[in-house]
Amino acid sequence: MGLETENQEIEKSMRDTARNLLKEKQVDIIIGYTKGTVPLSSSPIMINKEEDVDKFIWNNLCYVNLAKYLVPLIPQMKDSEGKPYKIGVISKGCVGRALIHLAVEKQINLENIKIIGIPCNGIINRKRVEKEVGEKEILEVSVSDNNIVVKGKDFEHSFAFEDYINELCKYCKVKSPPSAADACIGECQEVSSIEDDFADISDFEAMSSSEKWAYIEDLFGSCTRCYACREACPMCYCSLCFVDQNKPVWFGKTTDLPDIIVFHLIRAMHLAGRCVACGACTSVCPVGIDLNKITRKLEKIVKTRFDFTSGLDTETLPPMMSFSMDDKEEFMLEED
Amino acid sequence: MAQKILMKDQISKLYDDLAQDYANIFAPVKEKGNIIFKKITNADDIVLDYLNSKVPPKEVLFPKKEVLFEYKTDGTNVTEITERKDLDEKILIFGVRPCDAHSFEILKDYFAFGNYQDEIFLKKKENTVIIGIGCNSPRSTCFCTSINGHPFNKDDSDVFLVDLGDKYLVDAVSEKGKSLIQKLSWLSDANEADVQKAQELSKQAEESIVTILDLSNVPATLDPNFEHPIWAEISDICIGCGTCSFLCPTCTCFDVIDENEPYGNKGRRIRIWDTCQSCLYTRETSGHNPRNSCIERCRNRIMHKFRVYPKNYEYIGCVGCGRCVRLCPVNNDLRTIIQKINEIEDKKEEGKVNA
Amino acid sequence: MNETTIEAGQVANNKEWEPKIIAFLCNWCSYAGADLAGVSRIQYPPSIRVVRVPCSGRINPYFIIKSLTDGWDGIVISGCHPGDCHYLSGNLVARRRFAILRELLEFFGIEQGRVNFMWASAAEGERFANLIKKTTRIVKELGPNTKFKRRW
Repeated sequence: MGLETENQEIEKSMRDTARNLLKEKQVDIIIGYTKGTVPLSSSPIMINKEEDVDKFIWNNLCYVNLAKYLVPLIPQMKDSEGKPYKIGVISKGCVGRALIHLAVEKQINLENIKIIGIPCNGIINRKRVEKEVGEKEILEVSVSDNNIVVKGKDFEHSFAFEDYINELCKYCKVKSPPSAADACIGECQEVSSIEDDFADISDFEAMSSSEKWAYIEDLFGSCTRCYACREACPMCYCSLCFVDQNKPVWFGKTTDLPDIIVFHLIRAMHLAGRCVACGACTSVCPVGIDLNKITRKLEKIVKTRFDFTSGLDTETLPPMMSFSMDDKEEFMLEED
Repeated sequence: MAQKILMKDQISKLYDDLAQDYANIFAPVKEKGNIIFKKITNADDIVLDYLNSKVPPKEVLFPKKEVLFEYKTDGTNVTEITERKDLDEKILIFGVRPCDAHSFEILKDYFAFGNYQDEIFLKKKENTVIIGIGCNSPRSTCFCTSINGHPFNKDDSDVFLVDLGDKYLVDAVSEKGKSLIQKLSWLSDANEADVQKAQELSKQAEESIVTILDLSNVPATLDPNFEHPIWAEISDICIGCGTCSFLCPTCTCFDVIDENEPYGNKGRRIRIWDTCQSCLYTRETSGHNPRNSCIERCRNRIMHKFRVYPKNYEYIGCVGCGRCVRLCPVNNDLRTIIQKINEIEDKKEEGKVNA
Repeated sequence: MNETTIEAGQVANNKEWEPKIIAFLCNWCSYAGADLAGVSRIQYPPSIRVVRVPCSGRINPYFIIKSLTDGWDGIVISGCHPGDCHYLSGNLVARRRFAILRELLEFFGIEQGRVNFMWASAAEGERFANLIKKTTRIVKELGPNTKFKRRW
């Protein structure tokens, strides 16, 4: 089945589900995606009227993780008596995982939420497409069969979809939300654990320390400390981020390379066992820093050490919220 | 002064001559797929064929991180302060689009406003020469013409170039520009055909701008509508990332930090870019935050650019470069916001500004 | 003189660069163990600077990263053996944190061996000294920490 047809089917099924939910008043508001006003983009949208449901779209540019809007709840998501709205969220796999994980961390209450599952078929790597096209303005993007077609004033390029999807989407094993809770409707899947050999990062892991450090320095060289990655991540919901702490000041806020690396290192540490590999951080970065390797490593650490994958069910505690006498300690220093 | 011609293969020669006089030459270079303005030491690094830079050239004179001064302490008191010594160095910025060139004037007004004159920025600006370049192909998201700008506006550049294909038409605009061009005696004179072509390109560029915003009523509409429910609608998808303000050529907010060397007796005071979109921007020590949600913060940004600027400076604090439109991660389009504001019915008649 | 003191003497007489290692020791076990090593006059390289914490579970990963950015060449964290924690489970929580932080640091290119973790009880003065000797040797081989050096 071609990509275009797939997307249209997903769109139709999603709109029908959304329409029914609003009609039956099972939800007060639904958060989803709508067409962007700029090519290669999409925009989140919140709809509370049945007649607006056709504004929802599904294309391979829906990169924002909608779970972000639930944590902390946007102020207007309460009715006139102050009771929280019942909210529906159009969820591809990673959005569903994020919602389930946030429920485990007790940040949201799944009783007020409907996870409207859709089977995501991958997100286009916008920065790579823009890089290929170079300094020419893209005016139109469409998908046909299994190609992405970009058009400009006097050019047209076709890219093979599977070569230009986000790195994380290539290895994604949870394309539709896990059916872990009653909150899950639509296209969800039964999944209790995933199999992954993480072969894609084994080359990087085999590099020497100095090679790895050189890669890291090069990766983060253009970071502007805008924190778009942090704001787009549903798991970054701390009311005071560690970089903004001033009692004490732990780390510098400048754009010096050591400061930049420390920010990303610690943010990664804070996301261990929590990151759902949605790739929103990479998609929103204004200078195009690709965090996919670090994300994959985070998933590998918790999978191989603790056999845990975030956001699959509401019962299992994440590794950083639990401990065991039997944890492996092969890294401990021992006498010779 | 007569207009001159610079052949594209003479850029290297131009750089060599300019490097004699200007200690710091900045030009657009490509780094990891992004066009940014960086100090160059080699003419080959210059990218001539580009639409506009990712990070605006404001970062040349107002960098992301800037040392204000350095100090030494004896553990309790400051014993010595070392001021910046490089403020008298000459700076040249090559290849600036008219919108960004205009932003330098807005920045200058900001840093010179009121009683405090920001010496660091103003001294650097005095020693800066801007070589602007016209936009032959404005983007669909550009709207400089809606804010009294033009893709071929040369008013804010010292020297203005027009890309004629294999050569540039060179116009010396200001006194600084004239003395610079005089030194480059090897530049050939432009002929009628060149000047004609430049005028055609200018007209074509103006006509190709598709985003036309009606900003004449916006400042007046904003004033009485501070509490209008439209702000919730405008900001509902904003995630507060700050990309719009970091990449805006006219945004100037910064944070000042004192950094001490660990276990040492010296330090430095630096300023780094800050954004009103950060949830900490207005947070007080008590924990109270007057702008507690994206609604207030989004509203603040729009009001600042389109209401406070006209009130304090008599012009809108936007140059129409379109970076916020293109790069907003959730596509919260400024053009749609302006449209929604224009649709508000309750407007005040007085205070109407000619945008 | 036994082997330990001769070896320690050779290290102390060496005019080469000596690493600066910050040691976070839990109050109930490792700090007491270090104290015992001192009282028993067991020699070990004077490369560590001790920070006493109530429990290894108090160790915030920020301490470790800040030590690296402040220029410390090595970090060693020592707590009670699992099962013996004065606060019952502090060291178990710490062990998980260390496991993840260590793997992430290695992934970012920080050399293995800069950040070390060990268990040493209050009765294990000699073990403590031996492990500090080992740490010093490992960090010395890695050389000074220049990765996070800020260029002022």
